[in-house]
Amino acid sequence: MEMRKLALLVLLGTTLAPASLAQIRHVEMRVEGMT
Amino acid sequence: MKQHLGRQSGVQSVDVSLIDGKVDVTPKEDGQIDPSQLLKATYGSGVTVAEMGVTVRGRIVKDPSAGIALQFEPKRSFAVVPNETSKELESLAGSETIVTVRGGLYKKSAGKKKADTSAPLKLLILEVQKRE
Repeated sequence: MEMRKLALLVLLGTTLAPASLAQIRHVEMRVEGMT
Repeated sequence: MKQHLGRQSGVQSVDVSLIDGKVDVTPKEDGQIDPSQLLKATYGSGVTVAEMGVTVRGRIVKDPSAGIALQFEPKRSFAVVPNETSKELESLAGSETIVTVRGGLYKKSAGKKKADTSAPLKLLILEVQKRE
């Protein structure tokens, strides 16, 4: 039973981890009219 | 402008270079930042945005209107403007591969005084930095 829980945890971890790392890392702009 | 942008949702820090007019925005760890909101906020602070670029990490998915899109959150994605670089990524659509790309999201149209910030932002991929 414990092994099943562990296996499920590993499976969830490998599935969800890459998705949670998907994100906007940096935004840059060039602006005009700045004083 | 720095304070104004710093108050936007998901923004961790803002660096402004007065010399070359460059504004760097670093998102918070959760990455919950909205570039279109940043664009509007920048215009709201009284300056004109000439161009906006982004480095984003996500999955390539099929997009019914634009061919492919880069999904960076479960319900958020950028439609990808077709070019040579995007063609290389088409085969990854629907796969588990995570890509990190740098690209342009917005460029002010020449001759237009007032920018259209309401149109959805499309990603013109300039460089694929990583595939994993």
